[in-house]
Amino acid sequence: MNMPGLGAWFDYTVNGIVIGNIYAMLAVGLALIYGVANLVNFAHGSVYVVGAYVGWAAITYLGTPLPVTILCVVVVCGLVGVGIERLGLRPLHGSSRIAPLLATIGIALVLDQVVQLIFSPDPRAVPMQVPEWRIPIGGGTIGPLDLLIGGIGLASAAVLYGFLRFTKLGWAVRATAQDSDAAQQMGVDINKVNMAVFAIASALSGISGLLVGMYYNQINPAMSFEATLKGIVALIIGGLGNVPGAIGGSLILGLTESYGIALFGTSYRNLFAFVLLIAMLLWRPNGLFSGRSSLPPEPMTGTFIARSRPFRIPPWAVAGLIVAAALLPLLNNPYVLQIGVNSLLYGMLALSLTLVAGTVGQISLGHAALLAIGGYTSGLLAMDAGWPVAVTIPIAGIVTAGLGTLLVFPAFRLTGHYVSIATLGIGEIVSLVILNWSGLTHGAIGLGGIPPLEVFGYDLGSVEGTYWLCLVILVLLALLQLRLLSSHLGRSWRAIRDDSVAARSYGVSGNRYKALAFGFGGFGAGISGAITAHSYSYINHETFNATLSVLALTMVILGGLGNVMGAVLGATLLIALPEAFRGLAEYRILIYGLVLLLLIRFRPQGLMGTV
Amino acid sequence: MAAMLEVRGLVKRFGGVTAVNDASLDLREGELLSIIGPNGAGKTTLFNLISGLEPPDAGSVRFMDQDVTGTEPERLARLGMARTFQHGRVFANLSVLDNVLVGAHTRLRAVRPAIPLLGPLLELGLAAIRPAAVRAEEEALREDAKRILTLFGDRLLPRIDNPAFSLSYANRRRVEIARALALHPKLLLLDEPTAGMNQTETVEMQEVVHDLKRSGLTILLIEHKLEMVMRLSDRVIVMDNGSRIAEGLPQEVRSDPAVIEAYLGHRETGAAAPAREDVS
Amino acid sequence: MSDPGEALLRLDNINSFYGPVQVHFDLSLSVQAGQIVCLLGGNASGKSTTMKTILGLQRPRSGTVFFEGQPLTGLTTPQIIRRGIGSVPEARRLFGQMTVRENLLMGAYTRSDKPAIAQDEERVLTLFPRLRERLKQRAGTMSGGEQQMLAMARALMGRPKLICMDEPTMGLSPLFVDRVLELIQAINKEGVTIFMVEQNASLALGIAHYGYVLQTGHIALEGPADELLRDPRIRDAYLGGAAAA
Repeated sequence: MNMPGLGAWFDYTVNGIVIGNIYAMLAVGLALIYGVANLVNFAHGSVYVVGAYVGWAAITYLGTPLPVTILCVVVVCGLVGVGIERLGLRPLHGSSRIAPLLATIGIALVLDQVVQLIFSPDPRAVPMQVPEWRIPIGGGTIGPLDLLIGGIGLASAAVLYGFLRFTKLGWAVRATAQDSDAAQQMGVDINKVNMAVFAIASALSGISGLLVGMYYNQINPAMSFEATLKGIVALIIGGLGNVPGAIGGSLILGLTESYGIALFGTSYRNLFAFVLLIAMLLWRPNGLFSGRSSLPPEPMTGTFIARSRPFRIPPWAVAGLIVAAALLPLLNNPYVLQIGVNSLLYGMLALSLTLVAGTVGQISLGHAALLAIGGYTSGLLAMDAGWPVAVTIPIAGIVTAGLGTLLVFPAFRLTGHYVSIATLGIGEIVSLVILNWSGLTHGAIGLGGIPPLEVFGYDLGSVEGTYWLCLVILVLLALLQLRLLSSHLGRSWRAIRDDSVAARSYGVSGNRYKALAFGFGGFGAGISGAITAHSYSYINHETFNATLSVLALTMVILGGLGNVMGAVLGATLLIALPEAFRGLAEYRILIYGLVLLLLIRFRPQGLMGTV
Repeated sequence: MAAMLEVRGLVKRFGGVTAVNDASLDLREGELLSIIGPNGAGKTTLFNLISGLEPPDAGSVRFMDQDVTGTEPERLARLGMARTFQHGRVFANLSVLDNVLVGAHTRLRAVRPAIPLLGPLLELGLAAIRPAAVRAEEEALREDAKRILTLFGDRLLPRIDNPAFSLSYANRRRVEIARALALHPKLLLLDEPTAGMNQTETVEMQEVVHDLKRSGLTILLIEHKLEMVMRLSDRVIVMDNGSRIAEGLPQEVRSDPAVIEAYLGHRETGAAAPAREDVS
Repeated sequence: MSDPGEALLRLDNINSFYGPVQVHFDLSLSVQAGQIVCLLGGNASGKSTTMKTILGLQRPRSGTVFFEGQPLTGLTTPQIIRRGIGSVPEARRLFGQMTVRENLLMGAYTRSDKPAIAQDEERVLTLFPRLRERLKQRAGTMSGGEQQMLAMARALMGRPKLICMDEPTMGLSPLFVDRVLELIQAINKEGVTIFMVEQNASLALGIAHYGYVLQTGHIALEGPADELLRDPRIRDAYLGGAAAA
């Protein structure tokens, strides 16, 4: 730790407030949306990226002056916001509360990919539209851009205050946020209110993106995810749905990050944000500015289990499928076989997630972190400790089971949206700890030269070997999971999902059985991550990222939540189909996003039915 | 003999509203005590305080000679307290049989070794391996669950493998009671078991509760259908606005003017209507 | 607008469900213009669902609600409100974080005639002088009785032809109960028709012109209020004397 001087402290404070202002423009929108629609909008950061690129395009191609640039951003992003409401929220009225959240994740994937396809994934520099002088103050300096961002932040807050306080639509927004049923009984058209709120929130988010582009002089499509997360962290600090709280939370987050960087360095910035998030969720889930420390009772519950009768495959057909899969290497097509390996590895992840998200109803958005734990455990034990791979892989499974469960354990008392946000945060923390704990994990360099697969002297490094190993493990894991589901554990897990209060009243302890599910699920995911590490021979802290968690969730929803066969089918389809249409490789993530959206809207029970 | 359940001075406030105000009651073994009162009288809140779903702001609850004030519901289940819920909280996606088996969760012994820390891991292993003792236990519980379901004649038995969401409302209430009985409770808390049932179904349910009482089960009942309350109860407590306004034998309570007033309003039915102008 | 013989509000053979549970069985009733009509019934008799059906918050599986002779089928709640129906919801449902005045203005949400709204605000505040002292106070900080008055005043601000009130006396102290009943009569005298759902039979019948008694989704009893008041069957309908053996 190195202590910066006083002037530098001033600069860090200015920086923290500026960043806080940018977060505030994100978080205020999230708070408004949560207020009227009870929805945490995961597409919010994507709109921010749209704003950044619209601004960049306006300046670059049209040479617009700053006010016109802002106007362009407001109009385009406002329209995108209206679109999100129409696609992600309105059609899902009456379905489970987590459905719109999942829909916004799908929309986020689609928007990010569209931006990437139009503007390419390469970073762009946003031309500076303000002069470059800086005023020295008390040893530090302050520039026109700092003032501009502060000014726009204040102006937005003032306009928003005026809107909410003095206009009829503003009253309707507040009334809807407090009691949407009563608002309707006053003649308020809730759809119109939602649309207005999405437009306003998205316009603010877009301006925020433009300002960030100017501040860092760089934009890229990948910055959307971080923006969403930061907005959510600020929102949780301020209390879900609390608009002034969101501004306060944003400034706290901005300053915390800035001082964190001052003391520990840039790579710790996000770690601070997410540790703050988890701490808030555990100790003050209603935010810093609320008197209550317990969770609000109802609106956060509800799983995404559509009522359906699952499609049953007769055992002989399952056996036939396994035999057919075992014979795949005879085709002697390494390309197909590699796709097979990927499907099997994702299948293990999907099995794990379908247990946690489907059977127990905890919609986890950080499941990829389990792969990372497994991959790093096995890789490090094989590389740095020199243990044989046949030993490190099962150990990776056990370590992942233990560590994964331990990490999520404090979040077991959370429900609904909070679970998703907490698991997302925990996933990011795992990735950031890997990045920063260089002594153990080799830090940003990653693990290179991980030894190939081999079991007791047999080299399984070939694609056939890997395939057969994965197939055997997947089949064993699937059978074991089916067996557990048919025991008292299966009904206890599903009882917790359907009604945790009633389950507790009959002695089914939520903590114990959630821990068992995360433990067993963690074991399978850890093994999957370990095999991935050995077959890639290189992994780093970004190999298993949040997009992968979302992809896994899409797989299990596609297959039918909780459905073991469905998880394997979902993984196979989503991995193999884009390969079948190789021309579409570029659109892969876009397709995942669309599949997720269509499923949530039209077939929430998936292909095989929820169990 | 001491009472099985002793409630003393329970208070629960929500915001500025006092939902339960100084509620006390004693319940002896084998007794059926009914709590009646109009909507919003605080009956269900009182149930929630007794069954550990909400912590009281003041007062105490003793059950089976142990202080269980504000304890977690899992412990109460282990001590032998089972409850049903006002609006029928069955596990919607579980089959009828599985719903009842969840009720028997606290009776699982072989598959849930009582060893700290290692217990859960052993439980996972035993569930996967299923040695003879585990299989026998599960089989015995299944038989017992089916026996309990026969209490409801052929209402539930033909639907034993159907998911609970496919059941009629009345059948869901029956599943809930079967689930509670599978715990082999010492004390059964029934929250409006006949709500939403038609007359035939109500009479049937009344018979079921009557048989349970005859078999010696201790029951605390919330019910609105007074005829049923009169017929089944040993004693009746009447609540209004969070407080107990009357207590006694069913016949005493029925003729208590305070009770009729609580139900029908603050003026006696049949009294002269206040003056009003006719608009025609 | 409507035939002279046509009721202001008419429910025709309504069958509605809550999940798999049937709440209404061929429910029919009508409310004549200018009257106070009450719908009575015990717990879980289907009273509140009736209110939700009229306001379009819940759709019946079959049957039609007519207002001024026009069917309301397929209209959303805001559209129904715009036809001239005001609502005093169960448990009042005020906007607790907003001021008393903002709540009143929310009541006039469907209107845009500013001078007339200001006039109505004055008229309402004359009717409910207690609210005038509290215009800038947050609604959530008032007592239960004051909140009930605000809920009624809010409904009046929409200049409705009919106000639907869901259990307006629930949870109020006896003093306020009487005051609220007087106010309901006062509103009615200004020409607004009142349809109210109540559990408290003798109170409601005391001010109503006509009453219906709802029992598990059926109309068990109906008649002019003073006749119902004297009818011994009403006690059975409530205390379950007729039900069960």
